[in-house]
Amino acid sequence: MKKRVMSGTLFVVLILAGILTVVPFVWMVLSSFKTNAEISSLNQTLLPQEFTLNNYTSLQSNFNFLRYFANSVFIAVVVTVLVIYISCLCGFVLSKYEFKGKNLIFGFVMMTMMIPWSVTIISRYTMFMKAGLQDTYLSLILPVMVSGFGIFMMKQDISGLPDELLEAARIDGANEFSIFHRIVLPMSKNSISAIAIFQFLWIWEDYLWPYLMIDSEEKQLLAVGLTTFNGRYSTDYGGLFAATTISIIPVLIIYVIFQKRFVAGVAAGAVKG
Amino acid sequence: MFKKKRPLQSKSEIVLRNIVVTFLVVYMGIFLVVPIVMAFLGSFHLWNPLNGTYKFIGIDNYIRMFQYPTFWTAMVNTLIFCAVVVLFRVLLGLGLAYAITSKMTRHKTFFRTVFYMPTVTPLVAVAFVWKIMYNPQFGLIDQVLGLDVNWLYSSSLALPAVMLMTIWKDFGYAVILFMSGLLSVPSDYYEAAHIDGANAWQTFRNITLPLLKPTMIFVVITSIISYLQAYVPVMVMTKGGPGTTTYLSSYLVYDQAFVKYNFGYASAIAFFILILTAVLTVVSFKVTGEKA
Repeated sequence: MKKRVMSGTLFVVLILAGILTVVPFVWMVLSSFKTNAEISSLNQTLLPQEFTLNNYTSLQSNFNFLRYFANSVFIAVVVTVLVIYISCLCGFVLSKYEFKGKNLIFGFVMMTMMIPWSVTIISRYTMFMKAGLQDTYLSLILPVMVSGFGIFMMKQDISGLPDELLEAARIDGANEFSIFHRIVLPMSKNSISAIAIFQFLWIWEDYLWPYLMIDSEEKQLLAVGLTTFNGRYSTDYGGLFAATTISIIPVLIIYVIFQKRFVAGVAAGAVKG
Repeated sequence: MFKKKRPLQSKSEIVLRNIVVTFLVVYMGIFLVVPIVMAFLGSFHLWNPLNGTYKFIGIDNYIRMFQYPTFWTAMVNTLIFCAVVVLFRVLLGLGLAYAITSKMTRHKTFFRTVFYMPTVTPLVAVAFVWKIMYNPQFGLIDQVLGLDVNWLYSSSLALPAVMLMTIWKDFGYAVILFMSGLLSVPSDYYEAAHIDGANAWQTFRNITLPLLKPTMIFVVITSIISYLQAYVPVMVMTKGGPGTTTYLSSYLVYDQAFVKYNFGYASAIAFFILILTAVLTVVSFKVTGEKA
């Protein structure tokens, strides 16, 4: 009997917390199908009284939102792939090789995680402007393609691979590059998924750097686009709901699909660290 | 199992090592060391990129910083923000992780997936949604609670409102970390405690909590580092207002650097944040009694 009360309480607490967690998303999605008049009316209902797709269609005609979306997908994919490859390669060398200065280099890698953006962004901005990289995608890719977090995660993960496995491949005559591509990469799937989702999200939500670097509207990314949209049409709440829905839902879908592997990766990195 | 120190043998090992080492050294030099040195030097200059000023003024930026009331407001706000959000993140994370991992709970994966959702959503978009949620006329919060409170324009409620959004956004990360910490506690520890007649609280206090210490340290330190750098919620939701009541230290840097273009002054504040980050990290290691 006592057990039943306990488990009932736990369940109610979890359900309540779960509802509070998803309510903002549900409200956002439902509101994006409401008219502006209905959104700002005083008598609100959860479901749209008058279902409309107008917010989405007018979003596109007033504002090239799909272009921002496509740009963000492109940059996020390119950076994520680069970060994964570079993190794995560096993680492999830093965990499985012994050489002088290894700890010093790893120390610097760890430092990148601790240094606040505010310390480096001003000089980085100055450097990039002087180098004429303004308004190029190179300027968005270069400063983030090496991730201290990624290298740290991969170093932790790869150090758990048995040395015997690598030795056996070496005895069979495999060189280091094929060992890396055929053994190390495929065996690190969990950590790779964790890095992939985080990195994708960081690029997807990064505001300040693309805002500083990109001038032309057709090259701009989603997070900056959202802010511009809000600045220009500050009373178009329906439009803002549609725009935020478009920028949130894709990441959520990717997360739900890969969540199992992703959670394993996140947990592994943290506990060992 | 002990690790043999194995010298590099084959040619391809040396090639790969050289590629990685050269790449990292050059990259860290350009994107980490040079910017830090530039910012440090810049913090002693009157530096405005718009009119090309770069004039040595000694420690004037630092003196101005300490005399600037908004700087102190921002610092106090940042410390309150960090303390409250980290506290709730740990309490919610630990409590919910405990509830999910309990033997009595079913649908564990479902709850875990739901709680983690806000963490994987873009902050700029989420901050906009919450900004509308706080709207006094038709915002969700006032509607549901039947209130008529103008959260983001109230000097006493604006900062708590931004903190609430941040707690909602970030508690899920702590849930996942504490869950994996809880699941790694060997079950015979619990059995032994049960045989010795320990109740649930005693078991939690004397077995679970000490074993979760590494997770706790990880959550606290990564949270502090990231909240000292938070500026997006403030930029989207309040622009530091009303007045300066929601200025956070990193928002102050953003404001000084890229709204007012006082690069030297902003660099001085940034260096102060760097030192504060280092100090708070060391303090949290000390408080939790772990070696750094």
